[in-house]
Amino acid sequence: MSGSAPQKWRMNQTQAAFVLLLPFLATYALFLIYPFFRGIWISLHDWNLMAVAFNPDAKEFVGLHNYERVMWGENITWGAFVNPLVQISGLIGLALSIFLRRTGRVSKVTAIALAIAAVLLVFLPGFHPGEGGRWYDRRFWPTVGNTMMFVGLTVPGVTVSALLLAAALNRETKAMTVFRTLFFLSQILSVTVVTLIWQIMFSPRQGLVANVTEAFGGTPIVWLTDERFAMAAIVITTIWWSLGIAMILFLAGLQDISKDLYEAASLDNATGLRAFWYITLPNLKRTVTLVIVLQVILQFQVFGQAHLMTQGGPNDTTQVLVRYIYQTAFRDSDLGRASAMAVFLFVIMGAFSVLQFVLGREEDR
Amino acid sequence: MKHLIIGAAVAATIATGASAQDVTLGRFFGACEDAGTDTKASVGEACIIQSIINAASAEIDGVTVTTLPTDWGNYYDQIKASYAGGTAPDIHVLHRSSLAEFAGLGALADLSDDLAAAGIDTADWAPAALSAVSSDGGIYAVPMDFHANLWHVNMDLMEKAGLVAEGKPILPTSPEELLAQAQQFKDATGQNYLAADFAQFPIGVRVVLALMWQQNANIFDGDNATIDSDAAKNAVQAITQLFGAGLADPQLNYADSQQAFLNGEAGILVNGTWVVDFYTDEATKPEVGLKSYYVADFPTLFADGATWADSHMWAIPASLKANDPAKYAAALKVLAFINDHNIDWARTGHMSVRNSVLNSEEYTNLPHRSEYAGTAAIARDTPPSARYGAIQDVLNRELQAIWLTDKDVNAALADANIEVQDLLDR
Repeated sequence: MSGSAPQKWRMNQTQAAFVLLLPFLATYALFLIYPFFRGIWISLHDWNLMAVAFNPDAKEFVGLHNYERVMWGENITWGAFVNPLVQISGLIGLALSIFLRRTGRVSKVTAIALAIAAVLLVFLPGFHPGEGGRWYDRRFWPTVGNTMMFVGLTVPGVTVSALLLAAALNRETKAMTVFRTLFFLSQILSVTVVTLIWQIMFSPRQGLVANVTEAFGGTPIVWLTDERFAMAAIVITTIWWSLGIAMILFLAGLQDISKDLYEAASLDNATGLRAFWYITLPNLKRTVTLVIVLQVILQFQVFGQAHLMTQGGPNDTTQVLVRYIYQTAFRDSDLGRASAMAVFLFVIMGAFSVLQFVLGREEDR
Repeated sequence: MKHLIIGAAVAATIATGASAQDVTLGRFFGACEDAGTDTKASVGEACIIQSIINAASAEIDGVTVTTLPTDWGNYYDQIKASYAGGTAPDIHVLHRSSLAEFAGLGALADLSDDLAAAGIDTADWAPAALSAVSSDGGIYAVPMDFHANLWHVNMDLMEKAGLVAEGKPILPTSPEELLAQAQQFKDATGQNYLAADFAQFPIGVRVVLALMWQQNANIFDGDNATIDSDAAKNAVQAITQLFGAGLADPQLNYADSQQAFLNGEAGILVNGTWVVDFYTDEATKPEVGLKSYYVADFPTLFADGATWADSHMWAIPASLKANDPAKYAAALKVLAFINDHNIDWARTGHMSVRNSVLNSEEYTNLPHRSEYAGTAAIARDTPPSARYGAIQDVLNRELQAIWLTDKDVNAALADANIEVQDLLDR
């Protein structure tokens, strides 16, 4: 019997892997790859959302025109110190990267990444409209600036506060479990609920913040319509909202650190803050990198907070990129131009993903 | 037994499913739970419109109406996305100011030849209402109201400030008088003279627009932006002088400015016709600061009377008319029902669009109606434009920049001019 059985066809490992991956790949291609290239395709057209829906021929191929109308202007020139603060900090960054590499404090890849970022910081803000010139879209670059500002404030805010919370709550007691749950709770709320809660908190008439200010004899701040505080209000809201997941990642990282290290350190008289600085932080380096990169990618896509709390105001100080894309696509029906902005956003987030990949590989070595 | 069940199921399908048309409806105005079907008892825009819709669903044979969940702030984005996706609601509300864009793209059904058969008499519509729903010779919607900016007045505070004569508030007739009366008001009451949403929705824009129209100026003329003008500067400064002297607070948003007025912390609230019945109702409550409520026409500070106005109307997608005649007929029945209940909608404070309602005793006897009878004659809006929403947004941004962030008036108007010109050129 055994001799006469026909030879069974068996998949080799590669084929099996491919078959198992097929459902994922198909979904991924259909819902991510295809829309992505479709988006790039749309960005090359003059494409009115509603007009094209009624008449598919209503679009017109315009090449890179949308990119030009969004990012470029009339009579744009380059100057070395147009935006001195940013450009000088770029130069400092460049010098730092060379110094760090020379002294062997960072690896080659990190130094190159830092140097590229620094060069861009020197180069990009140098563009400005010359005499009689203007940006075609006067809101785009300020909106990019606002988004960067938001990311620049939110990411360190989330990272530092989540790290401190995680360190404080990393104990095996009932109370700490309760606190961990409480701090994570805000994360599960939807953006509408979060913004509703904070709009009430910030309200100058009935808000908790105003009541506390008044109790101490101050006049309440009108957070959401004051240009000095509107962005801060959105950042505070976002930090409160995004704290949970970062805290959980840090807690996982903390529990990976061997207790022996702390015991050994305490013999050398390193406890408390010292132990945190010399043992906890270095061992959390990978988690910190992960949290920062994840947060950067996430926070660049901020939309709901600015849309619901301040409507981008006052005077566009909280207008962010995704909200501008949304308005251009749906209010103005200008899908081509909106897609061009979306491709720009993709490039930024793609750069950070590559950075994470590079840093992650380096630490594996 | 088995046959009996199948027979009953078939009978039920014939009785309900086969002939019943479920019409989906998209609207703003906010949500109202438990609106009921009594169109005479509901209070406030959201509950009055929902009670009319519920009544239509209950009373029209073979038609049920499902109100889709939509949000005020994102309403048009949502409607446009649904049109683009081929899933537009069977009936939806829109503003006169948006008709140009929707009708121009061929999104809306031309109702001209079907209204009479559905029992809607276009001859009963006020001429301005007919022109509001017309575009390129066709009728693309059924009008429901005119709404306009009013001055809502706290008479107790005005009395205290000596600004009442013969039971009516004394209102300014020039920017100088506005400042003088506002100061007189503050000195007597300690409160702000005027409140409005200058920080969120474009109500401040509508105030400035009205003051421009009062000088026979506008924000664009054909394809040319004309915002960077002396008239615009005069209009803006008529308002900013109040902020500068501490007689009004530019930082209040819609809810806060309304709350300030209801608390008795402002003499005047600039807001639309849509809140007249709500404030009337509030003023009867013991816990509300506002006790003696009066509604006045937007005063004329320059040469001619003018106040911002718009119109709500109901439309049907062109695709429904083309593809589903039975449902289209059902949708028209619902529009006819809403048209028949124009008097109930007017209870909000909005102005009716039907001559028969405008001349009825029931209409003229609505609370405060006689106090703002002059508003219909001074109602204005910007010329039709497919970029209306974006233009309003530019103005709202630049005007807020002036009063919230101290941007120079000339610079703000020049910037607004450039941006509106860009929008007109697109």
